[in-house]
Amino acid sequence: MTSARLAIAKSGSDPRKRLDLLILFGLLSLLLTACTTTTVDEFRQGETGIEAHQSIVILGRRQGSTYETREEFVTCVGERVARGTEAIRVIPEKEFIDSLFPWFEPRTAPLRTSDLQVLMEEPLVAQKINEYGIRYIVWVDGQTETTNRMGSISCAVGPGGGGCFGFGSWEDDSNFDARVWDVSSFASVGTISTDATGQSYLPAVVVPIPLIARVEANACSSLATQLQQFVNGG
Amino acid sequence: MIHLNSLKIFGVACLALLLSACGANSVVVQGSYPSPNVRPIPLTLGVYFDEELKGFNYIEYTETGKEEYVVASGQTHIQLFNSLLPSMFARVVVLDSLEAAAGAQVDAVLAPSIEEFQLALPQKTRLDAYEVWVKYNMRLLAPDGAYIADWVVTSYGKTPTESLRSVESGINDATVGALRDLASNFTLSFRSVPEVSEWLEAKGATD
Repeated sequence: MTSARLAIAKSGSDPRKRLDLLILFGLLSLLLTACTTTTVDEFRQGETGIEAHQSIVILGRRQGSTYETREEFVTCVGERVARGTEAIRVIPEKEFIDSLFPWFEPRTAPLRTSDLQVLMEEPLVAQKINEYGIRYIVWVDGQTETTNRMGSISCAVGPGGGGCFGFGSWEDDSNFDARVWDVSSFASVGTISTDATGQSYLPAVVVPIPLIARVEANACSSLATQLQQFVNGG
Repeated sequence: MIHLNSLKIFGVACLALLLSACGANSVVVQGSYPSPNVRPIPLTLGVYFDEELKGFNYIEYTETGKEEYVVASGQTHIQLFNSLLPSMFARVVVLDSLEAAAGAQVDAVLAPSIEEFQLALPQKTRLDAYEVWVKYNMRLLAPDGAYIADWVVTSYGKTPTESLRSVESGINDATVGALRDLASNFTLSFRSVPEVSEWLEAKGATD
């Protein structure tokens, strides 16, 4: 680390050398990223399509006793669906849930499309959903699990300096489903499933070098791309 | 002399550090609660928060019986009811005492209280979540103090452990989750409590 900083400091005066170093670091960090395998499945049950004035809301399922879908993952999918040439207007999860309080809380949220139909008979709920122009409600359910933790790393600090030595590895597995409900017909129009797995490594020879598999980020990206195409009718 | 003073200051600082490590950590629960989207009942409700609710503190002890966390949730409960009730009733009057109801032109008085509060910390349960359970007793009284209804509402909130989340933040978020659960449960089940339903019918406020 010290020699790298020194090298940057020395090359600071030469912009070309500095750029070379930055590219080198970029390539190195790219190489150091561990591999991830992602599988996306789509199950279509009905026709889809969305108009410019319409929007969707992506909500996390939080009814399970053992896990709950992380808010950050739902936000990630929402942000990616709202980007690009086929961008769709996405109502932020927190804003939607607060605005329709208490109808979409973990204990009260509709679990089936028939529950949504009953819920829409509440004039205040129907009014809010119409104000937002919501055409589809997307329920994201899943989690990332870390398994197969192996190895150990020990670090020590002495008068002459410190360092770490050892090796650690673990496997991350992200499994998420996105169920799409059509608000206009109170029907489930399809499900997109994503499964991403990746092995991360942490070798340490004086300095620990993390080789992290971006499993959840890849699951988010794949799910969002497929969801965008699905909602647009592609 | 200067050296001696520095040593004294250092000693006092070390002592203060040791003493602070012995005390319980305090968590003053803070959260924001949305107003519910429900049809308001066309009646005036008086609400009385007793001192026990206003200053409600839950103390979590270590396995050796020492105070570990003091969770102060009284004020956030008051904030929750103040945001909840005005959307449920046409008019809400906060009462200083139950006796004040007689002259306050209210149709009934709600007196909520906490019966039980439980906290589950990940370091004790070995689960990846902070969990909070709360059991409430809701009493609905006539302005003269006569009984209308008395029922129990339970609520549950949890929040997952995260690498950069402090224990205090985990406790806070799980408690806020439990309070939101209370709000949704109370709002949606209020009309279906048998005695409340009878009272609403007698007042001609069933719909």
